[in-house]
Amino acid sequence: MNDSQLGSDAAKAAADTRGCVERFAAGAWLYPGQAVWVHPLALIFISALLAQGGEIATVDFNRDIRPILSNSCLKCHGPDEDARKADLRLDTREGALADRGGYRAINPEEPPASALLLRITAAEVAERMPPAESGLQLSAHQIALISRWIEQGAPFEQHWAFRPILQPPLPMVTPSWPRNEIDSFVLEQLTRQQIEPSPEATPYTLIRRVNLDVRGLPPTPAEVDEYIADQSPDAYERMVERALASPHYGERWGRHWLDQARYADTNGYSVDAERSMWPYRDWVIQALNDDMPFDRFTIEQLAGDLLPNSTREQLIATGFHRNTLINEEGGTDEEQFRVETVVDRVNTTGTVWLGLTIGCAQCHTHKFDPISQHEYYRLFAFFNTCEDANGRPPTLHVTTPEQQTKLDELDARIVAATDAIAEHDRQHNKQSAKGSDEAGGASASTDSQRVELTTKLTGLQEERTQYLAAIPQTMILRERTTTRESNVLIRGDFLRKGDVVLPDTPAALPKLPASDSPRTRLDLARWIVDRQNPLTARVTGNRIWAHYFGRGLVETENDFGRQGTPPTHPKLLDWLAAELMDRGWSQKSVHRLILNSATYLQTSQLRADLAEVDPLNKLLGRQSRLRVDAEIVRDLGLSVSGLLHDKIGGPGAYPPQPDDVFAFTQVRRPWPTSTGPDRYRRGMYTVFMRSAPYPMLTTFDSPVFNVSCTFRQRSNTPLQSLAMSNDETMIEVARTLGQRAFQHAASDCDRIGYAFQICFARPPDPFEVERLGGYVEQQRQIFASNPEGAILLAGDISIKPVEDAAAWTALARVLLNLDEFITRE
Amino acid sequence: MDASPANDDLLRDVTRRHFFENCGVGLGAIALGALMADRSQAAEAVNPMTVYPPHHGPRAKAVIFLFMAGGPSQLDLFTDKPALRKHHGQLPPQSFLEGKRFAFLKGTEMLLASPRKFESYGECGQELSDLLPHHQQIVDDVSWLHGMTTDVFNHGPAKLFINTGSPQPGRPSMGSWITYGIGSEYRNLPGFVVLQSGPRGPRAGGTLWSSGFLPTCHQGVPFRSGPVPILNLSSPPGTTRQSERQFVDVVNDLNRYKFDKISDPEIETRIAAYETAYRMQSSAPELMQLSDEPRHILDLYGAVPGQASYANNCLLARRLVERGVRFVQLYHTNWDHHGGTTENLEEHLPSVCREVDQASAALVLDLKQRGLLDETIVIWGGEFGRTPMGEIRDNTGRDHHIDAYSMWCAGGGFRAGTIHGQTDELGLTAVEGAKHVHDLQATILHLLGLNHERLTFRFQGRNFRLTDVHGRVLHDVLS
Repeated sequence: MNDSQLGSDAAKAAADTRGCVERFAAGAWLYPGQAVWVHPLALIFISALLAQGGEIATVDFNRDIRPILSNSCLKCHGPDEDARKADLRLDTREGALADRGGYRAINPEEPPASALLLRITAAEVAERMPPAESGLQLSAHQIALISRWIEQGAPFEQHWAFRPILQPPLPMVTPSWPRNEIDSFVLEQLTRQQIEPSPEATPYTLIRRVNLDVRGLPPTPAEVDEYIADQSPDAYERMVERALASPHYGERWGRHWLDQARYADTNGYSVDAERSMWPYRDWVIQALNDDMPFDRFTIEQLAGDLLPNSTREQLIATGFHRNTLINEEGGTDEEQFRVETVVDRVNTTGTVWLGLTIGCAQCHTHKFDPISQHEYYRLFAFFNTCEDANGRPPTLHVTTPEQQTKLDELDARIVAATDAIAEHDRQHNKQSAKGSDEAGGASASTDSQRVELTTKLTGLQEERTQYLAAIPQTMILRERTTTRESNVLIRGDFLRKGDVVLPDTPAALPKLPASDSPRTRLDLARWIVDRQNPLTARVTGNRIWAHYFGRGLVETENDFGRQGTPPTHPKLLDWLAAELMDRGWSQKSVHRLILNSATYLQTSQLRADLAEVDPLNKLLGRQSRLRVDAEIVRDLGLSVSGLLHDKIGGPGAYPPQPDDVFAFTQVRRPWPTSTGPDRYRRGMYTVFMRSAPYPMLTTFDSPVFNVSCTFRQRSNTPLQSLAMSNDETMIEVARTLGQRAFQHAASDCDRIGYAFQICFARPPDPFEVERLGGYVEQQRQIFASNPEGAILLAGDISIKPVEDAAAWTALARVLLNLDEFITRE
Repeated sequence: MDASPANDDLLRDVTRRHFFENCGVGLGAIALGALMADRSQAAEAVNPMTVYPPHHGPRAKAVIFLFMAGGPSQLDLFTDKPALRKHHGQLPPQSFLEGKRFAFLKGTEMLLASPRKFESYGECGQELSDLLPHHQQIVDDVSWLHGMTTDVFNHGPAKLFINTGSPQPGRPSMGSWITYGIGSEYRNLPGFVVLQSGPRGPRAGGTLWSSGFLPTCHQGVPFRSGPVPILNLSSPPGTTRQSERQFVDVVNDLNRYKFDKISDPEIETRIAAYETAYRMQSSAPELMQLSDEPRHILDLYGAVPGQASYANNCLLARRLVERGVRFVQLYHTNWDHHGGTTENLEEHLPSVCREVDQASAALVLDLKQRGLLDETIVIWGGEFGRTPMGEIRDNTGRDHHIDAYSMWCAGGGFRAGTIHGQTDELGLTAVEGAKHVHDLQATILHLLGLNHERLTFRFQGRNFRLTDVHGRVLHDVLS
């Protein structure tokens, strides 16, 4: 490709880029030599603003100015050269203060002479910035902030998320409320707003909250009784420890991680054939249960294959980036989908660990964050040398110890058989060399012996092949043996290659250590979890926090860049990040800190006094009510009915689902409905087919895992009501729970109390007992006159008479459908 | 937090995001920038199946997308190419193939003339082959779009592309964007419904009607055939309508009791959801009762109550938009005629045409006679078209073609009886009036009152839209 072609490609890319932002008029800045004409009214306006600005105490660049610049100016005056208008950039102080031939956009020595101020306050619409076509407008307050900032010397600060993480000093607060450091940071901000924290939730709420958050399962009635009876001062802490020590912790938090890893059990696209990535899923669960330090957890997943003498587990861990899609449709261009895979790996790595929207730089330099398109493809280069190319290989046979023994034994027999043939041939050759008369006869007999030996060897090899075929193969990452050059892809198009690039990290972040050899994924992984990396620990700490409160300290948990929202509690965020690293990257330590904070222990009841000042609970003056995730909806039902089979790990399960789910897919996949205990496994083990996901899961907002999901949405819809009321599994749950309650006690009142306790981990209020009691009596009467209906509803449960069986099924069904059942209070 | 105006902006921004997460709450209004800082006002709009104001005055209220899955051959249905007959069996000139990519062709395939008989019909003079006789009745009700282009030549990616604007799975589909933008008029059924007919489902399955990163209440709901179209719609065996009412009453009484204690508006949303679900249980089966239709309507479509078919789905689509459902998508397989014993142009193209011809035309005629066509957009087409070069397997067929294919649109503001776009003499490239898939998407949104550049959703730090960074409204095809 020659220069002129490149030039025209660049021009096209620039044109496309312009299309990417809302279209702006080619808003001319001030041209050199152009007289600065200012409407007389504008000057008065500016003076008025400056006066108003005087009321603003101190302007903080990151808090007050950066969002204005980022939202209103940087699309055209930011890092992206191709999109830059009037050759002006406002994302650096150098650019903003540059001499533009007699004037400056920002002039801190003589603030009113700043061209930027004149333009944002211009009375003439045609003169005013941002231009009218952009639909953007600065408020009077924003203008005042900017003018005040210029008066203060227009200091630029490094974006908060790129600053080194330092352990902030603890604020001085009233010591009575805090249980640990977290609370000091939270209380400091509440106090500033004169808000009292909420009282502690009841022990009933707390034990259910902790168990749902940590294990994703409700506490059993026995666990509740034990906890309520425990009067020792550290009863709560010990209850938390029990939850954290449970192997179900790895399942619950593993599922959160698997969302980010876009784990699923099929290849995606149209053919969507099954794959066995469940060994990777199990690796995640085990790693979390072992509290594997997050730095090691990261390195093994991103580059386990490049570690010296990598173990089988470390290879399985690389499955993180093998969860990408494979397009098996006929007539596909392998290279096209291989490149898609690499792109996904870059973007996912950026989102998951760095909290950056790196993907924006795939087609053009990032408009807001310091990531150029070249830097994007330097990251791309780390992943571009992987062996896999829109297909399954490389894979690893995941053997059990017994299978491995059997394989080793077969291997030994194969070696022996091979040796036997060699030995036979040696003997034979020896005899031939003698050249005796009998040689002919001997030869015939040895030949038949050789055939026998060969048949034996072939048989063994065949046996090994067949044995191996039945062992699941999980996909892993591996480097190609030959290198592959990486290029900038113009407009992100795999057919249009631009400059050659080498693997490297973005310049705005700490540098990779110097090295003579080419950089690898392992270098990248180590850089990501290096103590100097300002993003990884912040992003990770924030995500853990978000699961406990329904919202991160940084609300845009996947965008820590300039377009993201700044942290509500910056010091707390940094403190958590520093603790995570200081405690050897132990995630359980961070869980422990959060779970033991007074902030976490508050009630989630909405407060009228906060409705105006903090409707979204950003200041954390209470806990949040959170509807549990899709898988947990199922787990709760199975758990309260006693049906749950809580086996951890192994191949996925096929719980019953409606027959016609596959009417809407290209290939009618087998769905060998599980029988026996496998029917009742936790939701996270349900085989997830990307083109035909299990309906109950997506109804409750499970992502479809085509791309990384860092935060699930929570919807609240009539289809969810139908699923809870009528889904086959939920009816089975209702029958079993109803029977359990009925058989537990002799009086309706006690039965209701028991079932209620199982479902909500608390005793019912008198109103609840009365309403439920009335309902069960009403249903008993209705079904007494409709025994056929009663038998149908109660199914195969063994309670007699049938109207009781039906009435208690109906009662249990009501409990499962209450908002509280699927809510973490 | 101080209550300064700058922080108000921030608060609104975050408030908005909060509501995105809690689907029930006022999404459309938020999508359109009508920011609601007032929580009580926001809390009123608790039902996702409700109407939100558009960007501008809409021309249409609903969309029926007749999706011909596999890629119908425009050269055997809508465009007669005498040059193909003349050069049948020859290689196309190299200059015609410049820059083109194909799924299966190797560059040695010969031009293939269509064996079909073509004639011009109606005042517009649109050509139709003998495979679509019923279409003759609607030629002047339809906007004919020739020279359609798309970006990708494999089925899965191309289906995703026309549905979501991107060839990779993960983005919201058109129906999701639309219900997210303007909601839906009927509260007792989902706003985005998917119907399926033909031997199997479309390639890529559920990702085609996925809500992507939009809240999942905007995903398309696949309707099953038979009297119970929605999953879990049937109450458990042994219950009665009366006992189900009692069930909903006790659930909602107890939920209200909880709400009175802790005042979380999510509980109110859930109470409303149980009421809606209860109503849905009667409205959906009623909808499926095709036997309610008079004989002449059933005959018009060729529909047979109780039998799963494309014709029944077309009639069902009319009943859905009549009730105020916003977006109905019908998938019909299979149009992937490569040649071979099971998918060739000789046998299988005529048979799939017989399956869809009458009912497609009937839908347009029926909507028109009811006065619904003006406000309903009907789209007919697939993910791409087919090549002028033949694939000779056991029988003849054609490969996927993305640079010049045909679709038609009717109603809702499309100019009736007009022909747009022209392809070269061999049908390889659009020489006039080329229209990209993103343009069609922009146009559909435009007719519904939505500006495709403003209907955005912020995900992973970027504002996404249906038309990615492309698309222009096709004003010349609108009336």
